[in-house]
Amino acid sequence: MRDAGPDIADEVPAVAFNGVSKTYPNGTVALSDVSFAIRKGSIHAVCGENGAGKSTLMKILFGLLEPTAGAVLLDGRPVATGAADFAGQHGMGMVHQHFSLIPTLTVTENIILGHEPRKGLVIDRAKAKQLVRTLSQQYDLSVDPDAVTGRLSVAAQQKVEILKALSRDTRILILDEPTAVLSPPEIEELFHRLRDLRDRGMTIIFISHKLNEVRALAESVTVLRGGQLAGTSKLADVPDDAIMQMVMGRAVEVARRVPAQAAGPAVLVVENVSTDARNAADRIKEISLTLRAGEIVGVAGVEGSGQRGLVSVLSGLMKPVSGRIIFNGHDMTVADRLTWRRAGLANLPADRFGQGGAPALSLVENGIAGTDGDEELQRGPFLRRNAIAARVRGMIADYSVRNPGIHERLDSLSGGNAQKLIAARELATRPKFLIADEPTRGIDVAAAAFLHRRLDEVARSGSAILLVTADLDELLRLSDRVIVLFAGRIAAEFRNGAELTPDRLGPFMLGLKAAS
Amino acid sequence: MNRSILAGLIQLVVTAVVAAAVVLIVLIPFALLQPAPLAVLTSFLIGPLDSVRHIGNIAEVATPIALTGLAATVIFRSGLFNLGTEGGFFLGGLAATAAVLLLPLPGFAAPLLAVAIGAAVGSLACIVPGYLRIRHDASEMVTSLVLNYAILFAGIFVLNYVLRDPAAGAMMSYRIPAEARLERLLPGTRLNSGAIIAVVACLAAGVWLFMTRPGLNLRIIGASPGFATHLGLPAGRIVMAAQVAGGLIAGMAGAIEVLGLYPRFSWTQLPGLGWTGIVVAILARENPFLVLPAALFLGYLQVGGNILSQEVGIPTEVVGLITAAIMLTVTASAIFQNPKLLRLIRRFRRAEVQPS
Amino acid sequence: MTSMLELLTDPALFATVLRVMTPLLLAALGVLISDRAGVFNIGMEGMMLSGALSGVLVSAWIGSAWLGLLAAVLLCAAIGALMAIIVNKLGAHLIITGIALNLAASAATTLGLFFATGDKGMSGSLKSGVLPSIRLPVIDQIPVLGTLLSGHHVLTYLALLAVPVVSLLVWRTPFGLHLRAVGVDAKSAAAAGIRVARVQMLALMLSGVFGGLAGAYLSMGYVSWFAQNMTAGRGFIAIAVEVMGAASAWGTLAAAVVIAIAETLAITMQSLGLPNELMQMIPYVVPIVVLTFWASRRRALARIAQLS
Repeated sequence: MRDAGPDIADEVPAVAFNGVSKTYPNGTVALSDVSFAIRKGSIHAVCGENGAGKSTLMKILFGLLEPTAGAVLLDGRPVATGAADFAGQHGMGMVHQHFSLIPTLTVTENIILGHEPRKGLVIDRAKAKQLVRTLSQQYDLSVDPDAVTGRLSVAAQQKVEILKALSRDTRILILDEPTAVLSPPEIEELFHRLRDLRDRGMTIIFISHKLNEVRALAESVTVLRGGQLAGTSKLADVPDDAIMQMVMGRAVEVARRVPAQAAGPAVLVVENVSTDARNAADRIKEISLTLRAGEIVGVAGVEGSGQRGLVSVLSGLMKPVSGRIIFNGHDMTVADRLTWRRAGLANLPADRFGQGGAPALSLVENGIAGTDGDEELQRGPFLRRNAIAARVRGMIADYSVRNPGIHERLDSLSGGNAQKLIAARELATRPKFLIADEPTRGIDVAAAAFLHRRLDEVARSGSAILLVTADLDELLRLSDRVIVLFAGRIAAEFRNGAELTPDRLGPFMLGLKAAS
Repeated sequence: MNRSILAGLIQLVVTAVVAAAVVLIVLIPFALLQPAPLAVLTSFLIGPLDSVRHIGNIAEVATPIALTGLAATVIFRSGLFNLGTEGGFFLGGLAATAAVLLLPLPGFAAPLLAVAIGAAVGSLACIVPGYLRIRHDASEMVTSLVLNYAILFAGIFVLNYVLRDPAAGAMMSYRIPAEARLERLLPGTRLNSGAIIAVVACLAAGVWLFMTRPGLNLRIIGASPGFATHLGLPAGRIVMAAQVAGGLIAGMAGAIEVLGLYPRFSWTQLPGLGWTGIVVAILARENPFLVLPAALFLGYLQVGGNILSQEVGIPTEVVGLITAAIMLTVTASAIFQNPKLLRLIRRFRRAEVQPS
Repeated sequence: MTSMLELLTDPALFATVLRVMTPLLLAALGVLISDRAGVFNIGMEGMMLSGALSGVLVSAWIGSAWLGLLAAVLLCAAIGALMAIIVNKLGAHLIITGIALNLAASAATTLGLFFATGDKGMSGSLKSGVLPSIRLPVIDQIPVLGTLLSGHHVLTYLALLAVPVVSLLVWRTPFGLHLRAVGVDAKSAAAAGIRVARVQMLALMLSGVFGGLAGAYLSMGYVSWFAQNMTAGRGFIAIAVEVMGAASAWGTLAAAVVIAIAETLAITMQSLGLPNELMQMIPYVVPIVVLTFWASRRRALARIAQLS
């Protein structure tokens, strides 16, 4: 396998994508004609927003997916995908964002899983432990081989995941958003180890959307956008804003919402709120924020910057460990979800079919869920069939939900239409406070524009809206103010206006600049 | 006609076809072993319908399993795999017997009161595993499984030391007084007024599940816990209520079975009708309205099996084989989540939509 | 307390404990292997029943108890494979598949017995084989120890021997590691190149081997005939034993011994005038308590981990 002489190998890239395209059976084009090469013994960053095609590309590299067109060359040779243990055979190891470690097994067991050294019928434990120690010394990643993996800190688990990826004569190491779960000193440590690995000849593919990290670590970068190659280049040759341009696309002139009037009284006051979630990506730190009636506050930030934690804390799904939350004059710091909803919270969750509705129940049932006690819809405990049908038909007409019949299941609707129905239900309560979490992710432009109009109307009618979105167009179109989250903190706050552009937000989102 | 009902009918038809195929696949080898294979098929398939008495027998067999099926339906709808219906059924029968033998129940109301007491006591079999799951996160499946047997032996203890008639040869209770028994409806069968209760209970539960707010909330919790959390529904309380309701129905089923069929309480083993209830619930796809036809179908198979054993000499246990096979095929996602079938249903729906 | 002492010193009672323990231990070890692979075998009761009948029938036809045992083991392994196919290929619900297996086995064994003997209740008319008891060569000669340790049924020794073997299998072999990986997180195991469906099928087949041994013990050791539904819920106690033993082989042995002692006491207490029904409840109540304890401890630990 590795007989190529050193002279030739230096010329031949470790990995080359040649016109790789992937169209899924349902018609989704995930990648189209992507070509770039990765030099042997280098750290190569792959950037792009969610849905840009990064994970599809990695799955193709790993032999888990067959490209519709094009080929992947390893060491200059095309390889047949689809074989069992493809990645292992070709010396590729992956460090997953959500670790693929089994929490109840020991560190050693996790590392040798699938390729155990044997002594007769049993595992050669001495040899296994020796393997872990050797790996651990060789790559200077210290772990306790006998520790139970699930009891280790996240950073230590990541070391195990890296060792596991390195345990099989690995030449190409892929890391998917490895820093999302780490604290800054841990990230520093990780980078140190990765540079070390590179210096020993390892080829490393580093997937990230944090530009400061990419610059700190990688020599070259490839940017994907919408399944296409937006650019590939040596980092030394491109300035930050050029990469940002590639990641976020051409700056489009955005038609911004005009706020109806001066913002009203404060609806939600958040004072110094912090959480202590297990997952670092959910942690928020000392967040202070005020939302006024009639105001839309946009939350920007790369994924995992604390958005989940902020949304959970402001909707009664997670309790803060410190700070205070006043909603409508009441202290809601430790209130539960039902109390929040009764007090006037509405929520468009990011996970539409997991939390926004019940896919297996009908449009009618999804449309009236949570309206307990609505006299118009029920007499005593009994639901008023006609009134309910009329209400849901009204919602459907009002939000122009294209549907095969109101008694069909929610998952018979397209994503956009399902989201419109969910919005119709949530907004029907005339909420005082609305959390719109990725309200238009993955839905068609027309439905998105429709929902944007509705959010604007709701704000005009006096609701305070917290808009969490990774779509900067959407953010700039709707928000009156924008806060940027980075690592769980508010990195910057802006009043929206013509002068606010993605270019100004970018450095804060990517951690290049911070609020002083 | 309502399109969702039509779409539901397709699934029902597929279920029926699958069930019929299973019946034939299991039965034909047995038939071929006999001198007159065709006679085997006719006595099994036609026999149960050839007389009023046999039809009455079907209803008689279907009564308890409709109720245990309903109990399992309510419990499964909450998303828990609580198998306490078997123990609840046993306990309900025992408690009802104890009530009529030990308590001074007023004559005319005795059966009703005894059934109510049976239901209340029997519900414990489902409440305990439900509580341990919700409060302590203990697997409701395992605890309910063993609790069923703990209840059995506790019950035998009560039977032996409290209710046992020393004059009777075997271990059985004193005679249940005639006025405490449920009224018989059809001469020559043991069909009793419990059947009416079963019908009413299934219809009422259907109305409750599909036409009331608490029923909707229960279905939301069972179908999508994430959505329930989003809505802020008090999941623990609602799930617990479903365990209580399921337990009450299972206990009521046992009470009705004993007061409707037997002169004395003599169960010294778990009667197994709680398990059959699970089959009913699965066959009915956890829809109370469909529990009745599902129970009648299993009753029909059971009566067919009984006729078979009397006329042809094939043991009635062949029904158990059929039931088990139906249980597997009906839950098999390879059949019912098959993309081809789903596409067919969708095409059928679209054809329905066009004219309107 | 005195009867507890008697029990420990009286060789006859000691033998009874071992007799009661043997099928529970074998079946519980079978449940353990399936549990570790994430395919909890709730159909153990049905497997035991099938094993018990096939052992009797084959040994009666061929005239060899050992071949009867082999038949029981092979049949139950095949049932395990079938379960795996039904769950992983047909996509049926695991627990419902187990319940269906119990139903089917109860019916099929009655039918099988009927077609073989013309009797639905008992196999008394068949001249079926019995597996021997074994005298241990040297230990047999030691005065007290000899009577205690020697002369038990061959499957009793096998069951005891199986404890370290299963422990070794689960904790020391590559297969055991795969088993534990698949049972905790099948997706991650698959990511490490393990074929999940194959591991689960092997686990259910091994579970069947133990179910076959347990069933054969009932009809070719405990007694020498097959009777309708003769397992009488032992498969479910075995599940409880495995749960009490926290899915470890040695823990399962301990739980099996505890429950065997409880059952033996129940039998002896009867002569002392204590209600044996209440004693019979013990094997079923203890696992509920133990399981609840484990679960709430686990939850408390998870909460602490969340905070740290």
